[in-house]
Amino acid sequence: MTAREQEYRELFMAEALEYYESMSRHLSELERTPDDVPALNELFRLMHNLKSNARAMGHTAIGEVAHSLETVFGLIRDRERAFAGPLVAVVFTGLDELGAMIRAVGADQPLPDAAALLDNLARVARGDEPVLPAPAPADAEAPAEEDARKLELSDLVYIQVRKLDKLLNLVGELVIDRDRILTLAEEIGHPALQATARHLFRISDDLQYSVMDVRLVGVGVLLNKFPRVVRDVATAEGKEVELSLGGQDVQIDRNVLQIMTDALLHLVRNGVSHGLEAPAEREAAGKPRVGQLRLLALTERDDVLIEVADDGPGIDTEAVRRKAVERGLATAELAATLDEQAVWAFLFEPGFSTAAQVTDISGRGVGLDVVKRALDSLGGQLRIASVLGQGTSFTLVLPTSIAVKGALLVELDGRPYAVPLLHTDTVLALRPDEFSVVGGLLLAHVQGQAVPVVPLRELLHAEGTEALPAADKTLLQGPQQVLVVNYNHRRLGLLVDQFLRQQNIVVKALSKPLDAIDLFGGVTLLGSGQVCLVLDVPALTRLFVARRA
Amino acid sequence: MADSVLSPLGGRAAPPAPEATVQLIVFQLAGEDYGIRIEQVREVTITPEVARMPKTPAFIKGIVNLRGDIIAVIDLEERFGLVKTARPLPERSYTVAVEAADYTIGLAVREVPRPLRIPAAAIEAAPEFLQDSGQRERYLEGIAKLPDGSVIIVLDMRKLLTATEILRLPN
Repeated sequence: MTAREQEYRELFMAEALEYYESMSRHLSELERTPDDVPALNELFRLMHNLKSNARAMGHTAIGEVAHSLETVFGLIRDRERAFAGPLVAVVFTGLDELGAMIRAVGADQPLPDAAALLDNLARVARGDEPVLPAPAPADAEAPAEEDARKLELSDLVYIQVRKLDKLLNLVGELVIDRDRILTLAEEIGHPALQATARHLFRISDDLQYSVMDVRLVGVGVLLNKFPRVVRDVATAEGKEVELSLGGQDVQIDRNVLQIMTDALLHLVRNGVSHGLEAPAEREAAGKPRVGQLRLLALTERDDVLIEVADDGPGIDTEAVRRKAVERGLATAELAATLDEQAVWAFLFEPGFSTAAQVTDISGRGVGLDVVKRALDSLGGQLRIASVLGQGTSFTLVLPTSIAVKGALLVELDGRPYAVPLLHTDTVLALRPDEFSVVGGLLLAHVQGQAVPVVPLRELLHAEGTEALPAADKTLLQGPQQVLVVNYNHRRLGLLVDQFLRQQNIVVKALSKPLDAIDLFGGVTLLGSGQVCLVLDVPALTRLFVARRA
Repeated sequence: MADSVLSPLGGRAAPPAPEATVQLIVFQLAGEDYGIRIEQVREVTITPEVARMPKTPAFIKGIVNLRGDIIAVIDLEERFGLVKTARPLPERSYTVAVEAADYTIGLAVREVPRPLRIPAAAIEAAPEFLQDSGQRERYLEGIAKLPDGSVIIVLDMRKLLTATEILRLPN
């Protein structure tokens, strides 16, 4: 049995035992007040869930008993049978036997034979007299099977995500202090202290990964909600869609998934309503009537990818290019030079997606900026692939966990700043004569591409809404350190004083009232105890675009 | 109960018990004594290393690491306009960490703050006209008169620490 199968079995056991206990409680209530409708409804619901779970896990015998009991509860609910007389004894026996069967599954033992029980359940369902064992029904309610019926606690604990969040925050603090202690131990140079600090390092590392592991869920918990969504949208839009799901077992932090829920909902709805043609249109284009929509999760190094792909008309790149110019997102000259990736990136700009006619032209666009915002908040990336006439795929690149981020530390005016690696492209040291100034903009030439460069200092200290000062090459003295960052297919060079190092950081959110300043994604503490601001590359890029001279 | 007794306007409705006292943390701003109720204060500490935060008004001196919490430190003398120009904090200063509903903020002061217990009745409501007049007066709870004739200006941090108020620039 694989670890995954083992985990599923444990989950089944925990849920089944919980259902069993709830049902025992509700059944006792029903016995006291036979017309207790809520208790009856709850019994029916729980039994139905147990039946589905048991069948899904291949425990057909449990499924059979649960099915028969569900039938009896249904008859009682519909007032065709009364919860009275010999039926009560049969139902109680049935539930006890169901409990014994669940425990047998847990103990890996053969399941008890339920033929007699099933026969009796069928009898009461038909309204016939059940065949009861020798003791009178009154005795059945007495605790006759004391030894067989043990009290058991589940092996699983349900826990609120809020508590896990707190645990993760505490581990984050611990990791920061650990780094501080390690630095101090090196400074003091005491061998025993150093050894202890290294041990502390390993333990807290383990602890951190254990806590991160606890928060992981299968992407399936979200993906499995989509067949219904797709069906509803397809029905409303008169589309025929076949949805295929894959990679439900891929593990991801629960909160990362939570943050992406709306974004994924948008992408899937869009995929059906705009990404796929109407059946007649598809047939006219020589495609099968039924459109294909694929939702696939997979892992790539430390990242989780979720892909939403359709076999629709694809993105009309030229239409998007024209629209971007009309919307003022780019000048006609600039737009003409952009490659298709850069053009597609416009689809996710806030100003772009709200226009209804865009959807008609490009087949894309409603609310896609929601996707970009959610990705930005996680430091994720978006990949787009599209072939005209054949289809489009959007791939969300997500961090597995939100706790730790790789970052490059840079120094400016004697203070460290962290830039998440997800947004860094390359670092360069350039002589002043390697820059050029075009239209007041400082440009560096990176891999054959002209990349605008701005002193980070100017971006951080730009006041009000004035344009940044025009670039002046003569102000550059000596070699310049350029950090090229990348956001939404836009590259931007930031002039910094020096590069410090690369390291994993634990990002803490800025507390009020400073959280209103969007240039910073948060703050981290370095091993030296120094406070280090984490730069938000999307916000810096937006600021640069808005203020460039 | 303490709140109703000490409410500056609640004199007649809930007469203070004779032994009711208030504990304040008292510090100096521009040579005058100011107090904050101790229940609004989380701790008093020597100001840790301050990291200047770009894009913030000058009276926000920056952010500090206070036992793992990152909090903003502000200079109330500048915030209240008690000094004409912004200036850096001295080599050694003290931070009074005060708690708002959902965050903590540090007030940097130049002299060591001290605790002081005074009778609740010693705090008089600030006159109405004062409350409307200036920066500082907007956040007053009242003025405490001490037996030796000195006065302490008692600030109500809950009024100051709303997120919009704290970032407001001095006039």
